[in-house]
Amino acid sequence: MKSFAFLCLVLAMLNCMPKNITPAVPPASGSSIFDSTKAQLLKTGMFVGLDGPTSGTASVYDQAGTKYIVLNPFQSHSGPDLYVYLSKDKDAVDYIRVGKLQAISGKQIYAVPGKPVVSDYGYVHIWCQQYSVDFARAEIK
Amino acid sequence: MKIGGYLFLGLLVSAKSFSQKINFVDATLGGAKYQGTLSLSYVHLWSLGAKQIFFIGIGGRFTSYLGANQYYITAPAQLTSESTGPLIIFKDNITSNIDTFLVKSPQVNSINASINIHYKLSERWSIGFNIDAIGFSFGGKRDGNYINGFTGKMTTASPTPFNVLLISDNDRGTLNSEFFAKYSLNERCALKIGAQFLFTEYTTATKVQQFPEPNDRFRNKSLLVCAGISYRLKSKNKL
Repeated sequence: MKSFAFLCLVLAMLNCMPKNITPAVPPASGSSIFDSTKAQLLKTGMFVGLDGPTSGTASVYDQAGTKYIVLNPFQSHSGPDLYVYLSKDKDAVDYIRVGKLQAISGKQIYAVPGKPVVSDYGYVHIWCQQYSVDFARAEIK
Repeated sequence: MKIGGYLFLGLLVSAKSFSQKINFVDATLGGAKYQGTLSLSYVHLWSLGAKQIFFIGIGGRFTSYLGANQYYITAPAQLTSESTGPLIIFKDNITSNIDTFLVKSPQVNSINASINIHYKLSERWSIGFNIDAIGFSFGGKRDGNYINGFTGKMTTASPTPFNVLLISDNDRGTLNSEFFAKYSLNERCALKIGAQFLFTEYTTATKVQQFPEPNDRFRNKSLLVCAGISYRLKSKNKL
């Protein structure tokens, strides 16, 4: 009976553990290919929190034809299923899903997939995909 | 499916010729993670065979579905299986053709004609199956996020208006079905518990999917636990 109760407790604890939550700090590996001294800054902008406090700067670089988004500095609050979107408009009607948000604070670097024409894109979003909530937005110029 | 339909019609005709008739109304609630349904049905059954333990019939069902943050996927069989023939049920999905449409707050209502089968196990217990066959759906426009690999678009979508049961992904629209066990409390009332398998479908405002061909239909398949109550309108048999 005790072992059954213990099993139930363990299962309940596992079920209550937060799922799909973004880490507090970026992973150590990062994007080692990106080198800011060799990259050209294309656009930059400040984050504005839309669903809670988020602050920092989003910058878009070109390095040897590959586009990178650098968040530095960056500070946000935790949430489920957070992604970095690069969009053409402020409501992210047409976007590129750059990647899962690596961390809710600290410098982080993302390689932008595809070959986007950066001049067509004006915003970087921190987007909660599961609940379709725009956490924060940076207008990049 | 056509053969199945003819078989069902044949059974229905033979059942009508010598059967006992039972009419009942039914209210059912279904639930799963971030999803719920309310179904209201009217069913007319005829017994088949001398023992009067097997019943088939037709009915009508209103289903209202409410969900939160549900993933819909490419619906047309032409895309999901690259086939629309009867052997489609044996074909695997072609995942490269299937895109995702995330709907923040789906709400779909449907009114469909249904096919019903009941089997009486004892004086009080019976089991059964029903499935929507044809009808229509309605509901408001909803915001959604179309996701195709690393690109996407935010758009709106409305419930696909016309529903029809065909084979596998050839189905169209919102279709409900149930496997259930029923316990008769008395001559008129019975409790029902079972599983509900519900397809809901949205059509996006534009053909957001372009590969391998343009598409605007996206389907969600939900498995829900359901419970309900039936009230018999006619007949002396418990069901």
